[in-house]
Amino acid sequence: MIKKILIVDDSPISVKIISSCIPKDVGYELFDAGDGKVAVEKYMQNKPDLTFMDLTMPVMNGFQALEEIIKYDPKAIVIILTADVQIKAVAKAHELGAFSVLKKPPSKEAILAAIKEADAALASRG
Amino acid sequence: MSNNNVKDLITSSETDLLQEIMNIAFGRAASDLAEFIDIFVILSVPQIKLLRAYDLPTYINNEIMDYDQDKVSVVEQSFWGKFKGNAFLVFPSGAGKRMISLFDGRDEFFESDPSHELEKETFLEIGNILIGACIGKLAELLGDVTTYSPPRVMVEKSLHVLYENLLDPDSMAIVLRTVFEFNDKNISGYMFVLTKEESFGWLKNALHKFLEQYDD
Repeated sequence: MIKKILIVDDSPISVKIISSCIPKDVGYELFDAGDGKVAVEKYMQNKPDLTFMDLTMPVMNGFQALEEIIKYDPKAIVIILTADVQIKAVAKAHELGAFSVLKKPPSKEAILAAIKEADAALASRG
Repeated sequence: MSNNNVKDLITSSETDLLQEIMNIAFGRAASDLAEFIDIFVILSVPQIKLLRAYDLPTYINNEIMDYDQDKVSVVEQSFWGKFKGNAFLVFPSGAGKRMISLFDGRDEFFESDPSHELEKETFLEIGNILIGACIGKLAELLGDVTTYSPPRVMVEKSLHVLYENLLDPDSMAIVLRTVFEFNDKNISGYMFVLTKEESFGWLKNALHKFLEQYDD
């Protein structure tokens, strides 16, 4: 079951928007990072069960961070949240090991459904 | 027109939200463009700045010091809705020829090439897609519907022509600075939107309404 969630986005308002879509009553532990490099560090420190990751970020972009995280933990569940829904960008994210890709801005329903899917994936691993 | 500072018109948290919404809108615009030309568009992290229009020439001149300021290309399009104004894309000298090569694969051009018309058409097409998708998405996210004038273009002209003919000094400017990379061709550009103070009132309300859907 998902307990820890990492939100990666260079926009504080975007982090706030994503956090607000995550149910408060379940007691998820939330972490955030403002760029890909910090995201990789926080992933290693906190081992989140689920990561929401933006693509266009300074220092290290979402593709690079995703690659680093999957290299460190091939079973990582990373959901890309992006406005850049180019077919090639989505394909690249999947190629690098993204669990799924969601369009920005996310709706509460989309975030809830994504958490449910991630939960099911974790459960199926035992 | 009052002499309010931009900071009095919009708070820093409203600016942050506007930046995020413009990022989303520009991301969608890039997706539309990538689909149209069948290439991969890589975006840098866009930065937003709000200015009085009369400060815009100084700002742009400083920002594009690497450009030959007597040879820039500008696509302009007006839009109307609750949020209304003019959107501009500014490209450095030579960007048009590099853009044409996205369509026909040629990188070499000769003096005798009838490329001027082609350059104009390319700017109009690319400008129309980027501005339409960006302003359209911005309006959609904020609950507005916009209509557009046909785009206009000036190719390899001095920025002064733009300042003299197109800028209303009483307007507000939202400058979105980004660099787009088309496959391996680095083509940088600036987008800026000029709007009136009354549109800012609507914009602030719309930003708050947008956030309300995320209230806990």
